Amino acid sequence: MSTAASGTHNFKVVLLGEGCVGKTSLLLRYIEDKFNDKHLTTLQATFLNKRLNINGKRVNLSIWDTAGQEKFHALGPIYYRNSNGAILVYDITDEDSFGKVKNWVKELRKMLGSDIVLTIAGNKIDLEHERTVPLEEAESYAAMVGAQHFYTSAKLNQGVEELFLDLTRTMIERHEQNAQADTNRTSQVLVVDDEAPPAQTSCCSGNRSN
Amino acid sequence: MWFGPNLQRSYKYMMFASKMPSLRIDQSDLKCKNGCDYFGNPQWQGYCSKCHREQMQRQRKAEKASSATLPKPEQKKQEKGLKLTSHSSFSKFEEKRLRQSETLKKANLLKFSVFKKSNTEDHDHSSEKRPPEFKIPALVNEGMKSEFRARFPQLPAQVDRDARVFVHSFIMDVIKCANVMTVDELSERVQRQYQRFMKHMDTSSHFANVDSDTKELLMDFVEKHAMTYLHELPSVVFSPSGTDDERLDRAMSERIQQLSWVGERHLECKLDRSNAECRTLLYKAISELLGMDSAPGPGGKLARVRRACRHVLRLCSAAPASADDLLPALIFTVLKANPPRLVSNINFVTRFCNAQRLMTGEGGYYFTNLCCAVSFIENLTAESLNMDKKEFDCYMAMPASIGGSSWAAALSLCGAAREAGEQRGAARRLLQHAADLQAAAQQLASNALSFEEQIAKKVQDVLAKTPLEIKPRRELPRLGKLQEISTAPLIDLGTSTDREEPQPQPVPTSQPQPAHTVPVEPKELNVTLDPPEDEPKLNILGFEVIDRQSPSKSPQNLDQTWDLKRTNSLELLTPSPLGFTPFDSRSIDELMTPDDFGNDQLPPGLSNINYDIDLSDFSGDNSIAEDAPKSEPKDPFSPDALKKTQTFDPFAPQTSRGYDAAIDSFDEFSFVDQKHKETDPFEVVHRGQDPFSPVEWNVDLGKDQFRSQSPAKQSTSILDDNDSPTTGCLLPSPLQPQSSGRPN
Repeated sequence: MSTAASGTHNFKVVLLGEGCVGKTSLLLRYIEDKFNDKHLTTLQATFLNKRLNINGKRVNLSIWDTAGQEKFHALGPIYYRNSNGAILVYDITDEDSFGKVKNWVKELRKMLGSDIVLTIAGNKIDLEHERTVPLEEAESYAAMVGAQHFYTSAKLNQGVEELFLDLTRTMIERHEQNAQADTNRTSQVLVVDDEAPPAQTSCCSGNRSN
Repeated sequence: MWFGPNLQRSYKYMMFASKMPSLRIDQSDLKCKNGCDYFGNPQWQGYCSKCHREQMQRQRKAEKASSATLPKPEQKKQEKGLKLTSHSSFSKFEEKRLRQSETLKKANLLKFSVFKKSNTEDHDHSSEKRPPEFKIPALVNEGMKSEFRARFPQLPAQVDRDARVFVHSFIMDVIKCANVMTVDELSERVQRQYQRFMKHMDTSSHFANVDSDTKELLMDFVEKHAMTYLHELPSVVFSPSGTDDERLDRAMSERIQQLSWVGERHLECKLDRSNAECRTLLYKAISELLGMDSAPGPGGKLARVRRACRHVLRLCSAAPASADDLLPALIFTVLKANPPRLVSNINFVTRFCNAQRLMTGEGGYYFTNLCCAVSFIENLTAESLNMDKKEFDCYMAMPASIGGSSWAAALSLCGAAREAGEQRGAARRLLQHAADLQAAAQQLASNALSFEEQIAKKVQDVLAKTPLEIKPRRELPRLGKLQEISTAPLIDLGTSTDREEPQPQPVPTSQPQPAHTVPVEPKELNVTLDPPEDEPKLNILGFEVIDRQSPSKSPQNLDQTWDLKRTNSLELLTPSPLGFTPFDSRSIDELMTPDDFGNDQLPPGLSNINYDIDLSDFSGDNSIAEDAPKSEPKDPFSPDALKKTQTFDPFAPQTSRGYDAAIDSFDEFSFVDQKHKETDPFEVVHRGQDPFSPVEWNVDLGKDQFRSQSPAKQSTSILDDNDSPTTGCLLPSPLQPQSSGRPN
């Protein structure tokens, strides 16, 4: 699903997290390398298509911002279905937001299993002195759930690029693993009678049209 | 592969689960009823995709078995079109399909032409068991062909052919399967078809030189055309029968209506109703959302959603709008828009849009947001609006028409404003159009003016070249009627001037009456009449007469032979080049002749004769025609002329007596006179009388206009006369006898 015809990887990444933790700022920083620039009035920071070339592999990254308000939490599944990666953002100065991340991780693992690559981002490290989420706790939790952990600051542009790059690399790895499994599975599944007849018709009519 | 559908369904479950008391998903709610680890879906009766398919297969096997035992009666029933009392929803579904396929077949029989053959053949190849039910209209292929040429001019024709072949087989496959599959199986099948085409593009040599971007465009292209056609088939892919889509559409619509009281403050989105720009944006977004239903393909629908969401994004006041702002605003927009068949549209896109694009593109993102909005609306509670439960219930109990009036008013204002804008634009276009018309009219007027001036100038030029000389020429006609015809044109040019001088002289001298008025014209008229009298002479001395005339036509009188020829045939032709003058003189002469005769001669002679002549005069054309022909025939009819002359003779002498002397003075006349003294004097007299009498008399009678106008008219009439000499010949004869009769 996530591999386009010509070997370009198409990855969908969702940004999840409580409201006001800086999801949009992270995305903005990554898009434009700008932080809260007032001139970006026409720019929307909700969706980003980014093309990367990692180790000779073309990657088309679709990053989706999500509404973080609590009342929209239930809509999460609609957002993250079929996504290859998720960035879970919390505010290091806000312990509740970290709790939210934990909830998200649980839900994602339940819904998507291990197919999705999780990355946890502790944002606003420029406010280090106000930190309320202990560094060790966050990192140990990330390791426990099999997620990467990054400290970022959209304001200072720290760790943003690294975050996305690392996520992309992991997704490629994961994808290639799955691709093998996929081919096995598809070879089983696609044996279904459907495939043959259409191929036939295309051949026949192709010849006829000649 | 199992996960994909699972996720999709789970999302659908989220959207349409109606029982959900809270927005929180409970794990147990999501699980498959079978107790396997996958998630279930209400549309699959709570099973997961795998279990549901097994279930369906079991069910279908059972159906097959039952239908195998009773295949014929069922078919018969359907063929007769009897209303089946369907016990299971499935049989109803089948019946509907069949009926629909029949109507389609009928329609297609009319439409199909080009691809009919290959279609049926394809179909037979793919499934020989069942007869071909559907034929894809050639329109689809034609449309693809033309659009392909427009959009991918650089791609080889082979690609085009591949795409069309694929679309064709794709449509056939879907239609075939729609009868037997559930929507979700069909959806999976469609997705597999998309993947197959992708694979084909990757592997086929035809696509070797196509880059990945173009391939994606091709994919969209194929999807668009296949789905656009399928979309129009009732209940195949769009809100297919067997699903709850239609009912959900109604439910959603009612729900949204009920929630019309929900305002921007409930959703915590910052919309300013008093801001005109904000209203306009909202209005645009709403109209885009409303337009989604009419877009045929999933691509078109996605594009609509994308545009709508862009408007919504601009609606959000925050500088770079985030999803936190987008979603509430979008929910609000959907609430205000209440788009028709919303659920059907969303399901259609979810099922049959290329999943690749739905997952990655910008359109897909916005569409997902729309799905979220719809889901949120569906499951909206007091809690989600941060409201007191009682208050919420109050609002919900309230009739739908009461709520949201302020925004409705604002939006209708917006609509009115837009309409006004359109009207203004239309008015502006109309004004512009009117201005253009006016400018064109002015241009036309000025053109007409300049044209008029040019014409006037030309006329003046022409007049300056050939105006007055005509009159003298008329004198020539004395020679004889035959001569007259010939002479008239001749006179115009040079001779006229010469004659003018002599005429006035003779006029006064010969007869007092003619002398008063313009001598020239009347003289000519007289001539026409007279010639018959002269004819005998002409006959005898035809050449001579001609000689005399020839000088009149062309100033140089030397070429007698030429003149003769001209007189007979050329006269008629010549007048046009010569200009109006000759005709005028003739016409006038002709016109005059009757009057003149009457006036001049009548006082002494007969009034009866005048009347006949007058009638002819009034209608200038007729008179001309008559006169011209008269002149013509005279020459050829020399014998007749002789007779006429004889009759005329008596007449002539009366008038001619006084004029003789004057006539003698003219060169030509003198010739004539010398040869035929009797006729000559007559002619002279006539001439003298004619000019005077017509002018004076006519003036009295109010015929002046005729004269002035007559030249132009006569010229044309003369031409006509030329064309039909025979008629002319006939006409003159009566006149001549009449004239001759008068004297008698």
